[in-house]
Amino acid sequence: MTEYKMFQGCTIGNRIPFLEASARKVFDKLGITTSEAAFSCCPDPVGFNSVDHESWLAMGARNLTIAEDEKKDIISLCNGCFQTLKMVNTELLHNEHEKSKVNKILGQIGREFKGTINVKHFVEVLHDIGAEKIKEMMSKELNGMKVACHTGCHYNRPSEIMQTDDPFKPKKLRAIVSATGAIPVDYEEETLCCGAGVGNAEEEPAMQVLANKLKSAKAAGAEALIVNCPACFQQFDTNQKKAEKLAGEAFNMPILYVTELLALAFGEKADDIGLKFHRTRTNQLLEKYNIA
Amino acid sequence: MVSVDYELRKKVMDAHIHDALKYCYQCGRCTDVCPVSRVAPERYNPRANIMLSFLGLNIFKGQQNNFAIWGCTVCDTCDEICPQKIELTEIFAVLKNMSIAAGEGPDYYTTQASAIYDAGKAIPSQAAIERRREQLGLPKIEEPNVEEVQKILNATKLNTILKK
Repeated sequence: MTEYKMFQGCTIGNRIPFLEASARKVFDKLGITTSEAAFSCCPDPVGFNSVDHESWLAMGARNLTIAEDEKKDIISLCNGCFQTLKMVNTELLHNEHEKSKVNKILGQIGREFKGTINVKHFVEVLHDIGAEKIKEMMSKELNGMKVACHTGCHYNRPSEIMQTDDPFKPKKLRAIVSATGAIPVDYEEETLCCGAGVGNAEEEPAMQVLANKLKSAKAAGAEALIVNCPACFQQFDTNQKKAEKLAGEAFNMPILYVTELLALAFGEKADDIGLKFHRTRTNQLLEKYNIA
Repeated sequence: MVSVDYELRKKVMDAHIHDALKYCYQCGRCTDVCPVSRVAPERYNPRANIMLSFLGLNIFKGQQNNFAIWGCTVCDTCDEICPQKIELTEIFAVLKNMSIAAGEGPDYYTTQASAIYDAGKAIPSQAAIERRREQLGLPKIEEPNVEEVQKILNATKLNTILKK
């Protein structure tokens, strides 16, 4: 059995751990085993790489060496951590000049980047396990629940490096969601960013991007938005009210991290996966589909 | 009077493998697909940023929070659509790094980097969340080795940028 090093990242680990609760319950059911490690911040591909690229590379490489020590691949619960670790891994594997620069820095703490492990997004891993196995574990069909899938930017772009999924027509999240009986709707803004990045500089444009996204999902008849990234989750869940105010329109869109959807389909109780910690209410949706 | 910033030009060229930036023919597909240009067309334009970087025309200097560069939401859509395979986001990271080094970026960025320097995490652990993790049956987060993190960030001179 493959054991992965769990990389939940700062946002899930230290701010919204209920997402991790659902992920772990789903992983257990599907036979995905993980162990902990003392990773630092990935670091953030939007924030930290914008501050200093060299520092971003060196810190990312240090995290990779921790997994290399144990000869285990990393499984990431966050698009940002996934993009950083995968990009750093790829860049250093293909660029001898950068690699030797980074290894000179890592040498000061007795570490060396070797490039011997892989970095996986948990959606890739779930997709590889497959719809059949997911269906076997289900005790609740979510038949007919119309959902909008949002993979987020750093899950599959830049595709030349990430190699996760189609950059403009991502399929894996849709396939996982479809296994539960839910129906992914087609909506125009499926690959649009959640707007979190620009929000670091200024709020209003970020809320406009967010409103564009939610409007499009709503217009396509989505009853919930399914995400696979904690940064996107927070943007949709925490900032939805602000986007509604700006757009002058109520979206009332429940946001579910994909392992929350799976956990519910596997018969987990909403209380045990901390759904009450969501800002957007999920009660009506759960009642409609007779989910605990 | 605009003068050419040779340091900017060298940095963007060095950052980009095989100088692919030279092959930009200003078609504007990047701006077409940019979600920020769509909501703030007068204030953020990736095509113009590439042209100015290539020419070394550094109009980005001198503002605390210059939306012309910091408006980028790092969605990588422009990288994906570019017919010349220019990794625009990489170029924009160079512009942002220069802006931070000049002490000009939005506070968010240096505040986050400072937390990473001090605690090894962008979001350090908090007692309330640790309790919640326990209630949810989650294992404790293993604390990172901050001493190692700081040695690395001193070696890259981030400590000077962050005035640590």
